[in-house]
Amino acid sequence: MTDPIRVMVVDDHPMWRDAVERDLSAAGFEVVATAANGTDAVNRFPAARPNVVVLDLQIPEPSGVEVTATVLQHDPSARVLILSASGEQDDVLEAVKAGATGYLVKSASREELIEAVRRVAAGDSVFTPGLAALVLGEFRRMDREKDAPATPPGERLTAREIEILKMVAKGMGSHQIAEVLVLSHRTVQNHTQNVLRKLQLHNRVELTRYAIEQGLD
Amino acid sequence: MRAALEVESRMFRALAYLRLALVTWPVVANAVRHTFDHPVAAWCCVGLMVVWTFVAIWLYAAPERRLPALLVVDLGLAVAMLVASPIFKGPWYHATLPGYWIIGALVAWAIRFGWTGGLFAGTLLGVVDLLCRSTVVGTDWGNLFLLMLSGAVVGFLCGSLQVMAAERDRAQHELAVAAERARLARAVHDGVLQVLALVQRRGAELGGDAAELGRLAGEQEESLRALIRTRRPAASAAGSADLAAALHGLSGRPGVEVALPAGAVAMGAERVGEVVAAVGACLDNVRTHVGADARAWVFLEDLGDAVELSVRDEGPGIPEGRLAAADAEGRLGVSGSIQGRIADLGGEARLRTGPSGTEWELVVPKEQP
Repeated sequence: MTDPIRVMVVDDHPMWRDAVERDLSAAGFEVVATAANGTDAVNRFPAARPNVVVLDLQIPEPSGVEVTATVLQHDPSARVLILSASGEQDDVLEAVKAGATGYLVKSASREELIEAVRRVAAGDSVFTPGLAALVLGEFRRMDREKDAPATPPGERLTAREIEILKMVAKGMGSHQIAEVLVLSHRTVQNHTQNVLRKLQLHNRVELTRYAIEQGLD
Repeated sequence: MRAALEVESRMFRALAYLRLALVTWPVVANAVRHTFDHPVAAWCCVGLMVVWTFVAIWLYAAPERRLPALLVVDLGLAVAMLVASPIFKGPWYHATLPGYWIIGALVAWAIRFGWTGGLFAGTLLGVVDLLCRSTVVGTDWGNLFLLMLSGAVVGFLCGSLQVMAAERDRAQHELAVAAERARLARAVHDGVLQVLALVQRRGAELGGDAAELGRLAGEQEESLRALIRTRRPAASAAGSADLAAALHGLSGRPGVEVALPAGAVAMGAERVGEVVAAVGACLDNVRTHVGADARAWVFLEDLGDAVELSVRDEGPGIPEGRLAAADAEGRLGVSGSIQGRIADLGGEARLRTGPSGTEWELVVPKEQP
């Protein structure tokens, strides 16, 4: 038997934290740490060495987005699954740009949560229709920005990636998409991961460009 | 409205000082020249102007007294003074009795009625002045031109100031509302929403009556979320609305998931209403033909000058010929409420249906083509 997946739960609401921790433990995950705010999360992360951080975005300073960036900088092999309320879409997009590979709304069922942690730990990305729409909207927005320098081809979405992203946004699961497009499930997953990678790449390029413009290089 | 009134009051306070300055003209000029055919009557007119100046300052001080009747009397007196000039000074006068005093009435009209009021008062005073003179020289024509021009310009400026003040007030109000909403949203998020989401989750796991409670908690969570959802106000152009926020309201329906881009998608308010109604009709259709708890997905994409919407379900699909049959029977079903609405907006509604589900694809231009 392989080692259990190590999980860290970050949520400022004690009831939620306990419920998530209980569910994950019961499903065979090892909950190695919990935190109620960003500072604790960042401080406890190095010692706990979780494979997956289940993170609420609305936590006391530093924010969930900053925690995402900090822990992934510390350990790029870790995965961040955002477990958040559905109304915070701008924050979710920022967290994904910072490197989170999964997003689940808090109203998701226990089975969905467990499945999501498992998939994120395995390196898959977990997309909700809402996140797919956000990401697609972000790429559309980049294309429309006239004064910005043209997006290099490596950061642009391919027609296939757009097609898959749209299908996810319409509520189709990756198995359904694979069936419709006559692709393997793995290929569909690779496409969605590429989308996230491009979004994060673009974000880093933007930040660098900004830093150079501001003379911070 | 209040801001516009404050600007008006401020202008009238400034006009009070202007009137005091202006009334010195007929007093001093007539005392120096003293070229009257009827000195007693002429000095009575000057006295009337002095008295009216102070009465007018008092009357204009309160907004509720600035009635059209007051402005008519004000302008009427100025006209009367011009008309009295040839009678009391003799037909060959050069300077009128009131001189620059008439500016007071002109500016009052400009403040109260904008550029049209100013232009009207200026034209009336200028024309009366010309008609009263026995001989008209070039500078008299110039006076008419200046009166019309200054009336219109002062009126336009006052109107613009009022509009700007009203806009500033509205912007401040919107900002305050947004701040309050954000504060409420934080408070609600930290408590109520978390508990509702937890009840929903635990309820579903326990099953039975608890599942029903959980479902109700979930519905309330969604509607509360929709209520406190803060979005950047769509470009504050009048009649504009945020399609994304409007569609988000549909996520309160059981089984419906709405996927939106970040930020506002601004469109004409009427068009937003029509699009949301069409999407609502698609969802009604899902509920009728697939089931009350059927899952459905709404997806909105902003294409710049148009929006693309998808409403998808995983039901058994619509049998071939049913839509055409309903249409032929004259039932205002799918074709009327969805295709008709979208066609009216200059857009296109496409239907894809099969055994694995039904999808409506709506493409609507943001502005009427």
